[in-house]
Amino acid sequence: MKRIFGLLIIIVFIPALIVLGGFMFREQSYTWLAVCIALLSLVPVFLNFEKKDLRTERLILIAVMTALSAASRMVFAYIPHFKPITALIIITGIYLGAESGFVTGALSALISNFLFGQGAWTPMQMFSWGIIGCFAGLLHKPLQKSLPLTVLYGAVSGVLYSLLMDLYSTLWFGGEFSIARYGAMTLTSMSTTILYVISNVLFLLLLTRPIGKKLERIHTKYGF
Amino acid sequence: MQNITSGFGAFHPLALMLWFVSIFIVSMFSMNPVITLLSFAGAVCLSLARFGLRDFFRHAGFYLIMFLLIALSNPLFSHNGETPLFYLNHQPVTLEAFFYGLETAFMIVAVLYWFKCFNVLMTSEKFIYLFGRVIPRLSLILSMALRLLPAFLRRYRQIARAQKAIGLFSGKGWTDQIKASAMVFGALVSRALENAIDTGASMLARGYGLPGRSHFSIYRFTRRDLFLICADLACSVVVFTGMATGSIRFFFYPSVRCSWNAASYIVFAAFALLSFLPFIIECKEKLTWNYYISKI
Repeated sequence: MKRIFGLLIIIVFIPALIVLGGFMFREQSYTWLAVCIALLSLVPVFLNFEKKDLRTERLILIAVMTALSAASRMVFAYIPHFKPITALIIITGIYLGAESGFVTGALSALISNFLFGQGAWTPMQMFSWGIIGCFAGLLHKPLQKSLPLTVLYGAVSGVLYSLLMDLYSTLWFGGEFSIARYGAMTLTSMSTTILYVISNVLFLLLLTRPIGKKLERIHTKYGF
Repeated sequence: MQNITSGFGAFHPLALMLWFVSIFIVSMFSMNPVITLLSFAGAVCLSLARFGLRDFFRHAGFYLIMFLLIALSNPLFSHNGETPLFYLNHQPVTLEAFFYGLETAFMIVAVLYWFKCFNVLMTSEKFIYLFGRVIPRLSLILSMALRLLPAFLRRYRQIARAQKAIGLFSGKGWTDQIKASAMVFGALVSRALENAIDTGASMLARGYGLPGRSHFSIYRFTRRDLFLICADLACSVVVFTGMATGSIRFFFYPSVRCSWNAASYIVFAAFALLSFLPFIIECKEKLTWNYYISKI
């Protein structure tokens, strides 16, 4: 019964929500779609995470990594856009797995925004950081072995994050996707993107080995 | 600034969240100038009532820059519309695109003002209370992380002071500061991870995850919460039906045009009520307060 209900939500309710919204908000239907995708992509991961058999210590490790990445955003508040938060999310993904990476990324965005201010950008930030942590977890085998690959992944995710956020602003400000506006957005945010890339690379170089070693040590010492 | 539990903030989290969701959805996704201006006025009134005039003027500059940036950039990117004002690089800069930019700018600044109120009224405790039943595990992580955050920041400063005292870094100059931050951060991570294991053992010993445990919450659902939810739902249904049936459609391109009838004005009235409801509640609260003060 519960299964049928769940299927019903996926097959009927979610498409209906998107179509109805697109119909109601004709001028802003692309923004609606973007918000829906960002929020709805969180739902299956979160529900799966709730049902999964997890040890309590694993929950706390995720809470600690989330608090650390949010704290890192505060500690480096003196340089705008130059934060280790993405690096920490990537490290969490690599050493604790894709699901933990996604949860840490999404919740770090939510929590740090309680301090920096929630906004219309929160769903997109949760989605972007969640995806970055998730892919880091999926690629953990090559990334754990080679630091240069991890750094490369960090650089790519810095660009990806910036592009995703710009895409969202383009849709919201313009009501439609226009290449010219998107190009102008990405050009004006170029300096920010470069800062993202530099900070990701630098902090991954500085933090991957030490934090990774600590997480591995926790794993061998306590077994999770 | 007022206490967060007074006025509109005193409502039950569920009522507050539902109200904010409907105002965000309507304000963000409707491109009707009347709706947008009503939403903008409601948001500014509420933030004036909550934060006062001084705060309004202190932050007005930021909102004004944001507004101008969005309003003036639209005609540069969008060349739709049939009334060209002048030509730039052989591309027409049209009146309609300018109006569209104005509309978007008002909409975005209105949403920013709503979020400013949202951040004060929907505190993290209310957020966790709301989602604690739907996603208990994630809410636990969320509340633990929120508790750890200030603890980590405090511990970070302790470690930084200690490391500086034994001469590991001077804290002068750019590179030294970043290197120092990273080093202190590493130490913080070590301590945090070891402590996490302690916390886990303690939680298990105290019976985390056993069946039949209840939650503590400080929020009570009263009649006025029910009233707010009903008013919110009634207004939202009217506004959404209006949007779905197209009775408040407004066209910017190719020329500014609208097709409104009697039904549209009902929709606008319903949205005006929705938008000004918190402001009315705040005002009522202030009036009662002053009324009782003068009596004593």
